[in-house]
Amino acid sequence: MKRKILSALLCVAMTATMLVGCGNNSNESTDDTNQEATDDAADDAAGDDAAADDAAGDDAAADDSAAGGNKLTVWCWDPAFNIFSMEEAGKVYQADHPDFSVEVTETPWEDVQTKLTTAATSGDLSTLPDIILMQDNAFQKNVISYPDAFVDLTDSAIDYSQFGEAKTAYSVIDGKNYGVPFDNGAVIAAYRTDILEQAGMKIEDFTDITWDEYLEKGKTVLEKTGKPLLSCQAGESDVIMMMMQSCGASLFDDEGNPALVGNAALKKVMETYAALKEAGVLVEVNDWDQYISTMNTEAVAGTINGCWIMASIKTAEDQSGKWAVTNMPSLVGVENASNYSNNGGSSWAITANCQNVDLAKDFLASTFAGSVELYENIISCGALATYLPAGESDVYAKGDDFFGGDAVSAKIVEFAGKTPSNNTGVYYYEARDAVATAMQNIVGGASVDDELQLAQETIESQMQ
Amino acid sequence: MSQAKEPKKRMSLERRHNLTGWAFLTPATLMIAVMSFWPMIQAFILSLQTGKANKLSFGDPLANYVRMFRDNVFTTSLANTFLYLIIQVPIMLILALILASMLNNKDLRCKGLFRTAIFLPCATSLVSYAIIFRSLFSVDGFVNTVLVNLGILNTGYNFLGHATSAKIIIIIALVWRWTGYNMVFYLSGLQNIEYSVYEAAKIDGASPMQTFFRITVPLLKPTILLTAIMSTNGTLQLFDESVNLTKGGPANATITMSHYIYNMSFKYVPTFGYAAAMSFLIFILVAILAFIQMKVGDKRD
Amino acid sequence: MYIFLTIVSLISVFPLYWMLISATNKSIDVSRGTMLPGLALIDNWKSLLSQQDVARAMFNSFKYSIILTACALVICSLAGYGFEIYHDKGKDAVMSILLLGMMVPFVATLVPLFRMFSAAKLLNTTVAFILPTISTPFLIMMFRQSARSFPHDIIEAARIDGLNEIQIFFRMFIPTMRSTYAAAMTITFMNAWNNYLWPKVIMTTDESMTMPMLVANLTEGYVTDYGVLMLAVLLCSLPTIIIFFLLQKSFAEGITGAVK
Repeated sequence: MKRKILSALLCVAMTATMLVGCGNNSNESTDDTNQEATDDAADDAAGDDAAADDAAGDDAAADDSAAGGNKLTVWCWDPAFNIFSMEEAGKVYQADHPDFSVEVTETPWEDVQTKLTTAATSGDLSTLPDIILMQDNAFQKNVISYPDAFVDLTDSAIDYSQFGEAKTAYSVIDGKNYGVPFDNGAVIAAYRTDILEQAGMKIEDFTDITWDEYLEKGKTVLEKTGKPLLSCQAGESDVIMMMMQSCGASLFDDEGNPALVGNAALKKVMETYAALKEAGVLVEVNDWDQYISTMNTEAVAGTINGCWIMASIKTAEDQSGKWAVTNMPSLVGVENASNYSNNGGSSWAITANCQNVDLAKDFLASTFAGSVELYENIISCGALATYLPAGESDVYAKGDDFFGGDAVSAKIVEFAGKTPSNNTGVYYYEARDAVATAMQNIVGGASVDDELQLAQETIESQMQ
Repeated sequence: MSQAKEPKKRMSLERRHNLTGWAFLTPATLMIAVMSFWPMIQAFILSLQTGKANKLSFGDPLANYVRMFRDNVFTTSLANTFLYLIIQVPIMLILALILASMLNNKDLRCKGLFRTAIFLPCATSLVSYAIIFRSLFSVDGFVNTVLVNLGILNTGYNFLGHATSAKIIIIIALVWRWTGYNMVFYLSGLQNIEYSVYEAAKIDGASPMQTFFRITVPLLKPTILLTAIMSTNGTLQLFDESVNLTKGGPANATITMSHYIYNMSFKYVPTFGYAAAMSFLIFILVAILAFIQMKVGDKRD
Repeated sequence: MYIFLTIVSLISVFPLYWMLISATNKSIDVSRGTMLPGLALIDNWKSLLSQQDVARAMFNSFKYSIILTACALVICSLAGYGFEIYHDKGKDAVMSILLLGMMVPFVATLVPLFRMFSAAKLLNTTVAFILPTISTPFLIMMFRQSARSFPHDIIEAARIDGLNEIQIFFRMFIPTMRSTYAAAMTITFMNAWNNYLWPKVIMTTDESMTMPMLVANLTEGYVTDYGVLMLAVLLCSLPTIIIFFLLQKSFAEGITGAVK
């Protein structure tokens, strides 16, 4: 019996090897220049792959047409949030197209990235679904790395003027639109009004303020209540990046070269952060779970993050009515400083493996980029629109008791409209990590200029 | 081949056994060739190419190999990884050996319970163990509370926020997680030593220490070699702890080579040529260390 | 000795205890660091089932892991036996070369392997899950090292009795080496069960999802429900623990008697 299994397996292995080896006979594709370049040396192997790709592509096409062209497959990751939204969008579209269906495969963002990179690098896109949800910060990187993996949406029916400019900018590469903006990442500052009250302050005292005022007020709150105003994760640069975007500044120049050294905005950001940390107004924790727990256990008097953080704040039901939302502080002495920024958020992209591009385009145009109804349906899961017409809906004007009856949804859509756009850059994640490293050293006592110099060198070396 | 020296009349039997041996190891060898060596060759060719994403080209074939020594993040990760190797592997293997020989005692009660308890850490999902370690060592976590109450510290210390203490915690976490795993090999290896040997030693008045060093360690040598090679390999390719416990921080103080390679492949703009070159450095390092270990430990008496 | 073992055991068991406690609490209480059992186990259970297809993921994980373990044990023990019992310079050299096969980080061979399996149209299949780790240098070496203590006179005696080499392997070696097989089975099963990077690349449909992938799904998203997550993590850890508990007797209480 065991021998049988063994020999069966060997046969399988042999077949696999042979399949890899036999692709050679079929036609070499010429348009696949990237692919060829990758594998120049192993021309043998490259030939196989290119040929195998064609075969795989053809097959996928055949499969799809057999299954009927009215189904779209989607990868996204949060059942309570974007999966729910996508399924709702499917329902909205079904009203006019009864045969239509969406099939969502729950795939964590990191896995979407790994699968995408693996498939695009191996030159076989046939494993990708029709539509993927992509983190805005990764958009530039993925489209520029693998331009052939995505569909250009510039000439589709999608009206991009209906979205916040800062939001749309994430998915524009070389003047072409590759994404349909989805969830809002507008930055909010949320405070515990009861704790502020103990320190003799109100939410209005934290509206439209600067970081300098924030620091002073934070010291008072710390003194009177023993609670810091803000907590964040050590080694992550969310706060730094939010401060940067609030004045439209970037870690890169227009040519895409790292611009850390001599970047006045960045230097101010680093100094502000270090001062907050030094004063104890900001505390660093070691991971995301502890960050959430600082809010749930009332260890801090507030937080500053993308508006999606509200969902986590709300899990502490006993704190209902004790929170209030306003805008974030602005930087002092920096050009174009504002009280608005963005953190996180994602957009839909159509992959090159999509066999029915017209359907996918029409679907997105008439749902996420055209249906106020959809956004009304999905606000229950906390998905706030970046689709501006939705912000005018009555649903958005409703007060939220958790935040003292304030109409936070409408407020956030308004914030989003005021957010300056910035250039994330292709090498966003490299820069983000290098800046986080620099920040940790600065907090440890190193000089800002030296650390920024070092960070710049690290990014330049990684860009090779 | 070696049987050429053998007397002629034994040749056929020897040859037959020799061929049987080859037949036995062929399926496994073939699978490794296809599933490991073939991809490795492709990765090696890739390591000679520079560029981003799919825009790779051959230039100076050694460019990637030179580059890694100028890359300060990579050199940091190399130093970190070696520190883990030098400190953690010996502690872990010795501890595993001691635990295994204790649990091999026939008179011990509740052996099964102890064994399962000590094995548990490596079966415990990474997700929960990372959360637990981080919360145990957080500023207001359990460890700090104990230390403050004992008067050793005045206020909580941010263990994961300082370079040295973060490294120590990674080492503690590794020992915690993998000791039970290695113990399994020793326990199973100890079964091949007849228990009567121990009883004889006891009658001869040997102390537990003497028994351990004179009987257990020498007889377990093949297994010790196995675990030493595996642990060396595992530590040089260390990934999970760096990613999940500390995210490589603070300021890259705990990042490992594999973690950086992963970042270069999937988090950053994909640089597979360079990532492959770094992987081959790990390969060379493990191969050298394993070769030394084989030379020292793999002798048939 | 008991004190030492008890301390070590307690340290080892603590996270499992924490997992158990967390699985019975509401997310907010887990986040607030409770150490006492709660009442939310049933709610967490319902919530987990409503979000994820646990049964399917469990079935898949068991299917993949069991098939892989069975195949790997046969193939690798056969090879380990061959390397040791019939050892000569050539085979020792091959063994050393095989060891090299595990020394390159998997991240580096991931893309070439993926290319191979997608070209062979084996994505989302059991075969794709098991083939890359069906034969590991580690397991081969484990059997080779333990075959060293397998007495040669048994083989000689068996040959005189007229058994052929394959019969010797199946009838003498496997029963004698039960403890090695039990240990190898535990370890292989555990590695297969916890394997994450490879399945996440080759499994692209909900139908082929494994338990570690299911756990990963729960940690993603803007809000993590820690109670539900810990329940899933507990479910994901249990099979390996149970298998260890069942097998530990066989690999720790020797059957050395059979050798004589």
